[in-house]
Amino acid sequence: MKSITLLMLIFTMYHIPVLYSQDAKEISEKSMELTRVDAMEMISTLTIMDAKGNERVRQTTTASKKFGETTKIITKFIAPADVKGTGLLVYDYKNKDDDMWIYLPALRKTRRIVSSEKGKSFMGSEFTNADMSAPKLDDYEYKLLGTDTYEGKECWQIESTPINDQIADDMGFSKKVSWVDKESYFTYKNVFYDFDGEIFKEILLSDYEEIDDGKYMVRKMEAINLQNDRKSVMTIDRLQKGSELTENSFTPAALEK
Amino acid sequence: MKSRIILFVAFLVMLTGNLRTQSLFENASDVSDTDKLVIDFNGYGRGSAYGGSENYDYSSVFAEFGIQGELSLNKAFLFTDLRFRAGTQFDSLYARFQLKETYAGYQSDKIDIYFGAKIVSWGRMDGFNPTDNITPYDYFFLSADPDDQKLPNMLLQTKWYITPNIDFELVLIPIYRPSIYRYDLFDLGEYTSFTNPTLPERTFNNGSVGAKLNFNLAKAGFSISYFQGFDPYYGFNLYDISWDGFVPSIELSSQPYKKNTIGTDFSVPLSSWIIRGEVAYNMTNNYTENMYIPNPGIEYVAGVEHQFWGITTILQYIGQYTLDFTPLDDQPDIGNPNEMIMSELTAFNRKIFNQQEKTNHAFSLSLSRSFAYETLSIEAIGYYNLTSEEWLVRPKLNWKITDHLETGIGGFYSTGPDESIFSYASKVLNGAFIELRVSF
Repeated sequence: MKSITLLMLIFTMYHIPVLYSQDAKEISEKSMELTRVDAMEMISTLTIMDAKGNERVRQTTTASKKFGETTKIITKFIAPADVKGTGLLVYDYKNKDDDMWIYLPALRKTRRIVSSEKGKSFMGSEFTNADMSAPKLDDYEYKLLGTDTYEGKECWQIESTPINDQIADDMGFSKKVSWVDKESYFTYKNVFYDFDGEIFKEILLSDYEEIDDGKYMVRKMEAINLQNDRKSVMTIDRLQKGSELTENSFTPAALEK
Repeated sequence: MKSRIILFVAFLVMLTGNLRTQSLFENASDVSDTDKLVIDFNGYGRGSAYGGSENYDYSSVFAEFGIQGELSLNKAFLFTDLRFRAGTQFDSLYARFQLKETYAGYQSDKIDIYFGAKIVSWGRMDGFNPTDNITPYDYFFLSADPDDQKLPNMLLQTKWYITPNIDFELVLIPIYRPSIYRYDLFDLGEYTSFTNPTLPERTFNNGSVGAKLNFNLAKAGFSISYFQGFDPYYGFNLYDISWDGFVPSIELSSQPYKKNTIGTDFSVPLSSWIIRGEVAYNMTNNYTENMYIPNPGIEYVAGVEHQFWGITTILQYIGQYTLDFTPLDDQPDIGNPNEMIMSELTAFNRKIFNQQEKTNHAFSLSLSRSFAYETLSIEAIGYYNLTSEEWLVRPKLNWKITDHLETGIGGFYSTGPDESIFSYASKVLNGAFIELRVSF
């Protein structure tokens, strides 16, 4: 289980491979910098719907701030009651695996966890842990497939393919195609392919909000499983630009408060 | 102890300050005004049944209503976890109010202070924490939730955050609270009975103190700790012995003992593995004259965690090395019955403390996996003591039917050689359990 923050923050970078030139890798790197947020706090809601329309709702509060080269993200569950108090701390690095800790009220202590099985469901939703991991630029090959129109906007279609089987296994997909707005560089849609080459999931991103000069966050994301008709929607209910929290609020000890 | 308290107060005065700023994250329930009193309540109701042992069909059956509330005003707060429970436990009916936790607190960037009835858990290992001499347990509260067994201490706790990744924790426990293990339920023979526990006088000198320097670094977490005071896990002393002809009547009383413990623990991630360890050096006095005091020794736990095919697997080795160990005379003088009884009682205490041999070796294995989008989880915990040949297993299945309704079902089975602790316990603790809980 990993943080909603990462989903909100890094997802944006992950799914916006900005295209300035023919060098897709360079474009993606610029895109990540464009969407990287130094500090913010938010309250968000994850609604998980099964094929029959039954809903489960998770609400979290999250803070994120950059200290040196490390972005530190702390998330606490505030609803429902059975998961309330659960906390997650992630130290997000650009070029190596994240450091992560979890606080479980039932154990009354903070535990170190590792980021294995990135393809597993995140909090029982259609989002996966991989969706919330910081993308490592060198883990993918990028290809411009052509252009298409999405909700009246002219978009590039970008294909991202893991560079080896191990990364593909970890991420849980064989390739991904993104619809990227030619004008704003916003990504509106991602389609994921399974290992048989079939589409199994799509993620729709909307309600982009500029939270800093040239920095954006996605306020609504929908993950739709096309194979079992399950759907998950993540929304930011309240957003605070910047954060006055000190580094002491981004520690394993702070998870227990 | 008086000087400790003065030092502690001076320490608090020195460190208070450093107010928290307004923050959406820290005031998720009300961002508009941090000086406003915030009240937050949650609760649950549950039915729980545990039974099927050799001695009890219904070991523990109860209904419970619990409510957790927090009142906070900026950095100060009051937390309470209250429970009302009624049912039957080992054939005794009861209706009981329990203060699971209630404490006042102050939290800031630099220091946290808590005072009241609180549960403090030390140690980075799973289930076996030799550095944790603070938390008492009610080992005979039988339910689906292991947290039910944890008991609070009346304590004063403070944490000083020296740097973002280094903190110093001090815990003062003025009044000793023992763990609960109902050996009176065991079949120890018709001549043996248990009388009221012997508790230390409530004086400053009989308080306990724990201190821990904790490091949470990105590459590794570790701590160094110290404890001085009475161990919640006590021994048994001979309270009285009388003879009716050749038939003895032996009365035992639980008897806590003082100890000093220096401990350390660590947790290191290595790729997709996590390596953990915990070591405690226990120092005791007068153990040769008092059977209820264990020998000094070193307890050590080493473990590894990894996911295999989605199954979270935790394997631990649990060891103990007993210092100044002397084997018991296995053939006491049969012409001296008092000596024979004392020898038996000493052996009984050694079983409790796992000091039957100079070294003790055991393993535990925990397997858990969730299914169906984390609504269904299965776990199994096993333990085997190579030295005493005792073992146990505890499987459990948990189903979150909705966000507010869940059920748990499982079982517990332990066994061991005749006259081992697990052998005695199996007749009382073995069984199956089921729980249905609604939370709000």
